[in-house]
Amino acid sequence: MIWAKLVFGGFGRRGLEAVIAFGVLVLAAAIVTGSLMVVEGAREAIARAAEADRPDVVQVKSRFNRAVFETPRSGNLPPLTLPVYEPLIDPAKLADAGATVLARQSFLRNVVSGDSFLNIYIFGIAPEEEAQVSTFVVGRGRFLRSDDGPVAVLDRASAQALGVDLGGTFPVRKADGQDITLTVVGILDQLELRYPPPRTVDAPALRPGSSSVTSGVFVTLRTSEEIFGRPTLTDALVVARTADNVPAVVERLREAFRLEPGVFVSESYSRFRRKVQDFVLTLALFTAIAAATAGLAGSFGANLLHDVYADRRRQYATLLAIGFRPTQSAIASSGFGLATAGAAAVVGSLLAVAFAPRHFAMPSLLAELGTIEPSFNAWIVAVLAGMALAIFALGIAPTAWQLHRRSVAVNLSQERG
Amino acid sequence: MTICVRSVTKTYSRGRQSITALQNVSFEIAEGELVLLVGPSGSGKTTLLNLIAALDRPDRGEISVGGLNVTGLSRSAAAAYRNERVGMIFQSYNLLPQLTALENILLPLVPAGRPNRRRAMELLEAVGLGDRAAHRPSELSGGEQQRVAIARALVNDPALILADEPIGNLDDKDARAKSSLCCRMRAAGGARPCSSSPTTAR
Repeated sequence: MIWAKLVFGGFGRRGLEAVIAFGVLVLAAAIVTGSLMVVEGAREAIARAAEADRPDVVQVKSRFNRAVFETPRSGNLPPLTLPVYEPLIDPAKLADAGATVLARQSFLRNVVSGDSFLNIYIFGIAPEEEAQVSTFVVGRGRFLRSDDGPVAVLDRASAQALGVDLGGTFPVRKADGQDITLTVVGILDQLELRYPPPRTVDAPALRPGSSSVTSGVFVTLRTSEEIFGRPTLTDALVVARTADNVPAVVERLREAFRLEPGVFVSESYSRFRRKVQDFVLTLALFTAIAAATAGLAGSFGANLLHDVYADRRRQYATLLAIGFRPTQSAIASSGFGLATAGAAAVVGSLLAVAFAPRHFAMPSLLAELGTIEPSFNAWIVAVLAGMALAIFALGIAPTAWQLHRRSVAVNLSQERG
Repeated sequence: MTICVRSVTKTYSRGRQSITALQNVSFEIAEGELVLLVGPSGSGKTTLLNLIAALDRPDRGEISVGGLNVTGLSRSAAAAYRNERVGMIFQSYNLLPQLTALENILLPLVPAGRPNRRRAMELLEAVGLGDRAAHRPSELSGGEQQRVAIARALVNDPALILADEPIGNLDDKDARAKSSLCCRMRAAGGARPCSSSPTTAR
């Protein structure tokens, strides 16, 4: 009880200042917490956008052209001309980019299915690398391995259209006119191919209305080269080390394919950067609000605390004079400031968490990044703790310096502030 | 517990002005002695008591109490010295306003974590304030506050009591009673110098 009275009692006429200091600090903590929650929510929105847009990925693709497709095993159907990527990309030139290369051979094949023919998109991929940028959710069986032979993984829509299941086989016509039999080793429940080719012909699709290919057969590059009869690529993704490296990677790729008019290099980094620029400005605004509030209200609160501390110099000296150790005297005389700043930080942050909107949309340009969900995390706790400690330190520093500089006897003889 | 003061000098600086409160003071007080320091205001009585209590440091000279050199103690060691050996009665009482009379008396026992309420109550009754235990200093008269300060100085049975104007604010009747309390303290043993004004000394 005595300790509680020593720490929290004896404010006298400074009691009102202590209460005002607490109120100001609660308000400051609430504003800082609210602002930082918005900043954190916005950062998460940017991170989500970056995850979805992958601005660090550069696409290299061949021109889209019409190619003649013979209808296999039939003499009474006319040949088809269907638009596909041309295989114009030399993989060796991609290595000049100095980044991770995800080679692809994307092509279309007519596959016999029962008594009809199906247009099926076939993708030769590097399985491990491709899985880092595209989404493959395996429902049954397994995904491809880089050392696989003539096996295929396909999504539900293509499997259903081909009438095959796990362990089943289907033939694909190779460039030399022979058939290769692919064994199904995995069925995909979900497929999100990064930078898929345009869907220009009637083919199975997981999302029927989509203008991009949403369904297909995946094989290893080795198998696709065997089907395709050549090592050149139709398209490829080049992943820069960081998004900021993209301009340099694009520059190197354009230089490498300078003499190839049918090869195009495109990136989403520039668009992404424009998209997040306003967002970053908004973040800066909220951060500035938080910093200004912390600075102004914090210094005001610290000044009020300083007045209370100045009044307590005599208590500190008295306790020392009757035998309290310096640390005990310091705790008894300064504990209330720490408790006030700490409690204000806790109450303020709880108010902010309780009353902050769960989610809200930013206006106009910023809306493209989706809604912001303000979030409270350990970083905000650390900032609030730092703010409380700084206010406490700022409030007590002049008094502490005076107590340290003067003897106990001199501090005892000081009049109350 | 013998007190040895050797060639002690203490000077205060006020702006550009220096005030010498003590100059080359030397004396010795034997165990069990009751000593009254008499002198006009500003003659350095309080300064000398502060130095003996290790509340301040002399510019020159040395003070030892019971063989302990108190002039070179750290703040922490000085606090321990005061808590274990010294009972200090301040001229301005220095009671904490948020504590009751009883709690103020208990205060010197708090650092060691052994607040003995019975002992504090006995002392409060000995100074005639048994019925004012729950009163705060602001609810007590100057003389009553001084009596609480005396009880606080005695609560941890110090070997040395340093009293700065201990009965200056008491009326004649109370002053005689407290003087007799001082004599009883002396009878219990130990060296007990008191600083006081000429009036109190008479």
